[in-house]
Amino acid sequence: MTAHPRSLAQPPVTVEVLPPAARFSLRLRAEARPVAETALALPLPDRIGRRSVGATRQAICLGPDEWWIDAPAAEADAIRSALDGLVPHALVEITDREITFQIDGPGALDLLAIGIARDLSRLEVGRGARTVFDGVQAVLVREAEHRFTLSVWRSFAPHVGELLEQGAREIALGL
Amino acid sequence: MTQAFRIPGAGRVNHAKAVRFTFDGKIIEGREGDTVASALLANGVHLLGRSFKYHRPRGIVSAGSEEPNALVGTSRGPGRFEPNTRATMQEVWDGLTVESQNKWPSLAFDVGAINDRLYMLFSAGFYYKTFMWPRSFWDKVYEPFIRRAAGLGKSPTEPDPDHYTSRNLHCDVLVVGGGPAGLAAALAAGRSGAQTVLVDEHAELGGTLLSEPGVRIDGQGAWGWLETTLAELRALPNVRLMSRTTAIGYYHQNMVGLCQKLTDHLATPPEGAPRERLWRVRAGQVVLAQGAIEKPLVFDGNDRPGVMLAGAAQTFFQRFGVKVGTRAVVVTSHDSAWHTAFDLAQAGVKVAAIVDIRPQVSAELTARAKALGIEVLASHTVTSTTGRLRVASVHVNRVRNGHVDPWRSIDCDALLMCGGWTPSLHLFSHTKGSLAWDAQAGAFLPDRKTEECHIAGAGRGLWGIAAALEDGARAGAAAAKALGRAAGVGSFAVEGDRTGDGVVVKELPTDRDPGKAKAFIDFQNDVTAKDIRLAVREGMRSIEHVKRYTTNGMATDQGKLSNINGLMVAADALGKPAPEVGLTTFRPPYTPTTFGALAGLRRGRHFEVTRKTPIDAWAEAQGAVFEPVSLWRRAWYFPKAGEDMHAAVARECRAVRTSVGLFDASTLGKIEVMGPDAATFLERMYTNPWAKLQPGRCRYGLLLGEDGFIRDDGVIGRLAVDKFHVTTTTGGAARVLNMMEDYLQTEWPDLNVWLTSTTEQWAVVAVQGPNARKVLEPLVEGLDLSDAAFPHMAVAECTVAGFPARLFRVSFTGELGFEVNVPARHGRALWEAIWAAGQAHGITPYGTETMHVLRAEKGFILVGQDTDGTVTPGDAGLDWAIGKQKPDFVGKRSLQRPDIVAKGRKQLVGLLTEDPSVVLEEGAQIVADPNQPLPMTMIGHVTSSYWSEALGRSIAMALIEGGRDRQGETLHIPMPGRTLRAKVTGTAFVDPEGQRLKV
Repeated sequence: MTAHPRSLAQPPVTVEVLPPAARFSLRLRAEARPVAETALALPLPDRIGRRSVGATRQAICLGPDEWWIDAPAAEADAIRSALDGLVPHALVEITDREITFQIDGPGALDLLAIGIARDLSRLEVGRGARTVFDGVQAVLVREAEHRFTLSVWRSFAPHVGELLEQGAREIALGL
Repeated sequence: MTQAFRIPGAGRVNHAKAVRFTFDGKIIEGREGDTVASALLANGVHLLGRSFKYHRPRGIVSAGSEEPNALVGTSRGPGRFEPNTRATMQEVWDGLTVESQNKWPSLAFDVGAINDRLYMLFSAGFYYKTFMWPRSFWDKVYEPFIRRAAGLGKSPTEPDPDHYTSRNLHCDVLVVGGGPAGLAAALAAGRSGAQTVLVDEHAELGGTLLSEPGVRIDGQGAWGWLETTLAELRALPNVRLMSRTTAIGYYHQNMVGLCQKLTDHLATPPEGAPRERLWRVRAGQVVLAQGAIEKPLVFDGNDRPGVMLAGAAQTFFQRFGVKVGTRAVVVTSHDSAWHTAFDLAQAGVKVAAIVDIRPQVSAELTARAKALGIEVLASHTVTSTTGRLRVASVHVNRVRNGHVDPWRSIDCDALLMCGGWTPSLHLFSHTKGSLAWDAQAGAFLPDRKTEECHIAGAGRGLWGIAAALEDGARAGAAAAKALGRAAGVGSFAVEGDRTGDGVVVKELPTDRDPGKAKAFIDFQNDVTAKDIRLAVREGMRSIEHVKRYTTNGMATDQGKLSNINGLMVAADALGKPAPEVGLTTFRPPYTPTTFGALAGLRRGRHFEVTRKTPIDAWAEAQGAVFEPVSLWRRAWYFPKAGEDMHAAVARECRAVRTSVGLFDASTLGKIEVMGPDAATFLERMYTNPWAKLQPGRCRYGLLLGEDGFIRDDGVIGRLAVDKFHVTTTTGGAARVLNMMEDYLQTEWPDLNVWLTSTTEQWAVVAVQGPNARKVLEPLVEGLDLSDAAFPHMAVAECTVAGFPARLFRVSFTGELGFEVNVPARHGRALWEAIWAAGQAHGITPYGTETMHVLRAEKGFILVGQDTDGTVTPGDAGLDWAIGKQKPDFVGKRSLQRPDIVAKGRKQLVGLLTEDPSVVLEEGAQIVADPNQPLPMTMIGHVTSSYWSEALGRSIAMALIEGGRDRQGETLHIPMPGRTLRAKVTGTAFVDPEGQRLKV
């Protein structure tokens, strides 16, 4: 696998690496949330696993004081300074830390089941979770009934990508 | 061959489709749907192998996964050889290669069979008694002998070319076993809407129904009902049916492991298809419908080919359309074998006699037998069989009031035995559920449960298809109800059900010397009844000891046939009832499972994650040699043509000291510590002071544990008042972040500071050497790189080679140095830009070995190499890194402990060997006086040792008791064959004043 493979497999499930956009890890206390929401023009969900989607940005809550903000690369500079001086917080760009796979197709749940132990059929569309794929920390988001994104740290991506590729081939065989 | 024993039109095999495979080189023709066993039997082949210990001829005993005898080698092509395949489970396909095992020179004439004549020598405990003396024989003679003899079949010698896969699965109800009970359970659970999974180890679902086509259920024949039922289950979207799938283990909280065979039955598997898939199932409720396993009877010669379980003969006939012989005798203690006799008689097999141990058998059965012309011998026993490679006759004796009359011989080519049925409780046993002895059934039945499971059908001692269906439906409905679903218990109208019962027996009574009877209990391990009795005579009281002394039940079949018979004999020998003697514990896996299935996807380069940096591919293209550092692989050195490691490292070192070198430092752990309390947090975590560190400056940070010992170190840059860029060692990255989070969340939750791992956000290129600035300057925008504007230990954000960068002026080499951090996706491009810019200066990529040498020349420690978890800052000579004014930091209090401040602690010092060409061995022990008597007092050990190209001699660091007070002393390093001498020095070998940084 190369660092940025495109279509790794054909239906019933396809795996591709999404092009990098801007991604930030935002940490702050609950009382600072309203100020941050206004400054970022984006609601910050208060329940772990919930996501909010704005016009161009989206936020997913991954911990009691932790959100990921995804946005187009062009908005990275604006986000970087959006909270300066407003509330105590940490806003750290992690765009390059992450490689995000998109897993799409009716076989998506089966494919993810090769590496993820939890019952993903119970993960509602539009929600996400920090989980583990074959021992690798990952953040999984269910974008649609049969479409997921799976983000892992960059150096783990070849391992995860190769397993997904192998799994997708296996599922295509229908055995 | 002609399939002379095939009954045209009978069974479920496809008579229109011939399949050819080889057995010991001979072409055998079977039918699609055959197993190796059924195809061989169709051709009259009963002799399949030689037994493990005595090399006795052995044939097919069963028709299922419990088979102890018919273990064969199978080959599915080059490298795809498997020993001990159960011939009763392996399906045939065109081109399959099968060979018999444990024979030489041939299956029919085997030299090892001499063991059978010497059987008196090989009694229970033989190994323990024989291989004790002399002790010196153990390594060279006994152990190799035992190892050679210790396994049946040949281990494959080639790497397995197949691949294996695994998957997680969640369901509401998992039903194990696809017989009538399992099918009924799956129907009940499936109809309730529960997510239901039904698994069975055989190629076809149906279990007993496949062998009992005469039974009618709900107005249909059993096979028709099966088809209807499977169609209904398949149509339910919430039901998943899996055949060729064995539930191998039942673990905590209803996790069940399944091994699904995907391709072993296919002549041409799809390209790239995995061979097996391991499923990790988490089930809300489990229904165990594993059925029962028929028990052999124990009598002399019960292992001869042609002697098999009656139920197996039934299955070979009904399911595969194969007669197991032309003239059969049945010996039984249970009604079920009578029905087998009737079925065979109607198929044209001459059933010479039914020998029943019981004095009384139902009049209905005896009448039926007589009508079919079968001689009935109630209250009879079998005392021997004859025949060399196949049973030829059986000796039957009448038993009167415990007395055994003289034998008479009955000719036969098949002897079908049935000692009753043992409920299969293996998986239940895995859960540590307790068993209770049921005297009436003469069997252990499930008692107290530890998991959310239900046991249904013959697995809990019920008998008959109607009972199994009803009980399965009850269990399936109970499982669904436990999940809060409404479930009905279906009812089944069953006609022609052949119920019955039997008695439990130990060895059959005999008129011969029981001490000479070869009455086998464990066919696979060659354990006889007299072995069990001998074990008891020799003092074994517990069934666990009897088992280990005799190896009964310790073969790969885990005693599926032998455990209960072994127990009955042991109980009799001990004069105790069976439940008092107890049963041994079954353990996973239920049947032998390939290592491939257990390893799954974790094989080859996926055995463990190998992390690579963005620059790794460049290094690989340059021919770098790599070394593993935690999960990472890092370029170790970059040999040029003809260079060995020493030459390459020497060249790389020279380049850095004289011009400029390039190093991939991307693996360094990085943590962004951000928030108004960031400085306060670092003040508390690290030994060093941070409050007064100005933004734009860096400082070396030392991290201790609560015990005061060094845990990690690294350079920390202050990017803003509230933002620090912390670096850690490569291997310590995750550990340090966890430790910091631990303190932050549990000790100081009030601090407004947050930690984010940025290890992989940044690619890091170190440019080191006197020409470093010259190389980098033209690439840098927005920053004056001069020493005045950007001195040693400065940090700034700028642009390097067009990429946004965090630029550090730091040095782990002692030379002028910079570390450029850019977003990881640009790492390779940055590296190549610096590489191109450095060509004028002969820029040289260097690896971790050179990095280690250069830092050792400066006396910089490597945490984990020069420290071992017992080294304080004082021991390492790092007292200067402790903020003396700080009220507290992690580990501060421990630094005052009496044994920490005591004299004589091991301290890190330099060592220079007397012979400058000798490079000490890392880890070598050091003594003060080489002439002292053994064992010598060791005062320390070498921690780092290298050839220093800069000094033209070797250098070393060592942890030595009171080391800093020994400056100038000569110490001794005893090595094999010689004792080396070395002088204690300081640790900074090159440029101790640090002048080379001031440029």
